[in-house]
Amino acid sequence: MTTAPPAPPVPSRALAALRRDRGFVTGAVIAGLMVLVALTAPLLAALAGQDYTTYHDTLLDSARGGVPIGGFGGISGEHWLGVEPGTGRDLFARLVYGAQVSVGVAVAATFLEVLLGVTVGVAAGLGGRWLDSGLSRVIDLVLSVPVLVMAISLLAIVPQDWPRPVLLAAVIAVLGWGGTARLSRGETLSLRTRDYVAAAQVAGAPWWRVARREILPGLTAPILTYAALLLPTNMVVEAGLSFLGVGVRPPTPSWGQMLSTATTWFRADPFYVFLPALMLFLALLAFVLVANGLRRALDPRQRELTR
Amino acid sequence: MRRFVPIVLTATVLLAGCQGGGGGDTTTSGAAFDPKTCQGGTLTVLNQGGITHLDPARLYTSGGGNIPSLLFRTLTTRNRQPGEAGAKAAPDLATDLGTPSDGAKTWTYHLRDGIQFEDGTPITAADVKYGIERSFAPELPGGAPYLRDWLDGAASYQGPYKQPEGIKAIETPDDKTIIFKLSKPEGDFPYLATATQFAPVPKAKDSGTEYEKHPISSGPYQVESYEPKKSLVLVRNTHWSQSVDELRYACPDRIEVTSGLDSAVINQRLVTGAGGDANAVTTDAVVGPEQLAQLGTGSELDKRVTRGEFPSTTYLAFNTKKAPFDNPKVREALSYAINRTSVVNALGGSAVVGPSTTFLPPQKALGYQAYDHFPAGDTGNPDKAKQVLAEAGLSNLSIDLAYENDDSEGIGPKVASAIQEAFKQAGVTVKLNAIDAATYRDVTGKPATQPGLALATWGADWPSGGPFLIPIFDGRQIITAGGNFNLAQYNDPAVNTEIDAINALTDPAAAAARWGALDAKLGALALVLPLTHEKDVYLVGKNVKNAYADGWRGQLDISRISVK
Repeated sequence: MTTAPPAPPVPSRALAALRRDRGFVTGAVIAGLMVLVALTAPLLAALAGQDYTTYHDTLLDSARGGVPIGGFGGISGEHWLGVEPGTGRDLFARLVYGAQVSVGVAVAATFLEVLLGVTVGVAAGLGGRWLDSGLSRVIDLVLSVPVLVMAISLLAIVPQDWPRPVLLAAVIAVLGWGGTARLSRGETLSLRTRDYVAAAQVAGAPWWRVARREILPGLTAPILTYAALLLPTNMVVEAGLSFLGVGVRPPTPSWGQMLSTATTWFRADPFYVFLPALMLFLALLAFVLVANGLRRALDPRQRELTR
Repeated sequence: MRRFVPIVLTATVLLAGCQGGGGGDTTTSGAAFDPKTCQGGTLTVLNQGGITHLDPARLYTSGGGNIPSLLFRTLTTRNRQPGEAGAKAAPDLATDLGTPSDGAKTWTYHLRDGIQFEDGTPITAADVKYGIERSFAPELPGGAPYLRDWLDGAASYQGPYKQPEGIKAIETPDDKTIIFKLSKPEGDFPYLATATQFAPVPKAKDSGTEYEKHPISSGPYQVESYEPKKSLVLVRNTHWSQSVDELRYACPDRIEVTSGLDSAVINQRLVTGAGGDANAVTTDAVVGPEQLAQLGTGSELDKRVTRGEFPSTTYLAFNTKKAPFDNPKVREALSYAINRTSVVNALGGSAVVGPSTTFLPPQKALGYQAYDHFPAGDTGNPDKAKQVLAEAGLSNLSIDLAYENDDSEGIGPKVASAIQEAFKQAGVTVKLNAIDAATYRDVTGKPATQPGLALATWGADWPSGGPFLIPIFDGRQIITAGGNFNLAQYNDPAVNTEIDAINALTDPAAAAARWGALDAKLGALALVLPLTHEKDVYLVGKNVKNAYADGWRGQLDISRISVK
């Protein structure tokens, strides 16, 4: 009746490796800052004395199409990053509020994808032949759906008064859980052949206990790594949807939406393009660094080698 | 070709669409221009919108349009000049602007001598009559709807294919004379006669819906090849000569139109002017912020710009049958609250739009009279708005604003956001209601589905106050089945009577003064909230000469430019 204890989720050895990984630390710090900015957006905007909706018409050169007056997109003591061409809305406020949408939607979508993917994947892996092949076909179907095209059509048909950020996260998750599910199923299939899992099953543990006590801990490392890679992907999808105009509704800002408006201004006011592009670039870089660090520290194959 | 075939939606339009006249100024490069020696070269036209139909019966144009006017001569046409002179009609196939009789209910025209089709056949009054009759055929929809309303007893005519007996209200006593009998006085008839429906069509060459593949030209050019929505190549019509047409200069030997291009691409190509693009113009891609930023006074680019004003107003339409807009105080408060500067900026800045406090755009030909009944200043007067609302006992007002989900028509999210923000300053919460651009006019044009507050635009079919005010304020024009433009659903018999009285005037100046007065009177009721009027700024290629915006449409007139 003895069962070998499953590997702890994140071994202390891995933590130590992560701490030594300069790429991971840099990524984690930037990502942490992004999340902090998103969480404290109202506070930061208040600190700057600005909000993201007020128009400042006097700061624009209307005769030249509405470009901000002054260098670098109209940077001043009041408008730290200048103002938006065409409206005069404060760019600092829009950028930090944009972080809420970009980071928030990406995190929520990733969380939902993991929840959905792991549930289906583990069920397929542990279930019988029929359940497995049934769920596997569903996973195949989800994986074969072109995410952007499908998301555009889904977002176009829902009523407008639904809260957009929640909707965006839900749509991205519903269309994107296939990968997590397939990964979870594969890992579960390999884990269930392990002695300790077999022992638990022989001992008569119900399937849900097996899943929770024996399988999930073993899944943590690969799923964590995979989720860290999903996060930047989801951020790009959100930016893409907002860029195409089916994302958040005005006047809510998001980096993708800012990038979209900026395309008409990139010669007249290049600084405006630069801001959301830089933020997206930094966020993506940070999350990819984190994911790579996690993979290096947690990859089972590498773990085997270090054992 | 923004105004050339703009209205795919006009199947339901009863009166007016989106075309008209305006003032403009000249930009002529080089020394004195001589129309006698300007001939030669190939002109390239780079456009966003494609020519979906080239049949004169199906084109919905203002003053005959730009490219259509190179192929189709009409009884009258726009007087191709900049400024106020260009807002007048001029004789084209006819010898004069028409002779009214029976209190402007009968109009008589005589054709000039020596006019021929591209195959050398002389153009007769019967050809003009046949062209008009074709435009009534249900197989050939899309043209301006006025004739069906105006011609006596023609409302149910089904076109010459089903009813070859023709329209009785058009008489052709001889080859040179054509007489129109109307059901009511219409002083604006010479303006309407500029439409391509008044172009002659030889009955022997008519192939119904196939005719547009090679319409028979009466103008200076004829079709060499035509691919709908994509390209059109025009070459000289050897049976046309300047001696029978003083208005069109027809300088280039060949004209190549390419459509379906992106506005930013067109303007960048015009700026660069590489190769054939040096001889290029556009008729529908107004300059964007990128070019505006480079258009400093005296800059090289500034010399290559034509500026004009197409008479068009962007406005907020109140549905006065729906709460809270049935309350005049609410409409007045919002009129005080509006911030026109932010709307102007949302639409591209003061170079391409101007603020409007009147429904009529600022063109003398339309009868423009300045008024500002609810002064909002440049950036709105939220305090006054709050005060008006408080007096009416209203607080925490929350309203829905309908707009198109796309910015291309100028009534999209950018403008809606600017309005939302302006009203917020007055304590009014605006919920944004985006409607798919493809169905927008269907939703707003049907009183049963019309929202309480909607963004709208209106342009004149010809430079007169009538086509601007009648569809919007004539109570008899409220169409419950759809295609309604009287969005205020306003019906005052006194106003309707005044409209009839002005329609009977044949002196444009006298009519203009009364249209202007009517607009000022209606403005005091705050039935609409005027936002902006349009200005047109177009770039032309380096080598293009004599490019200027005509006073009718504010657009450069292809019939007079040269690339030699």
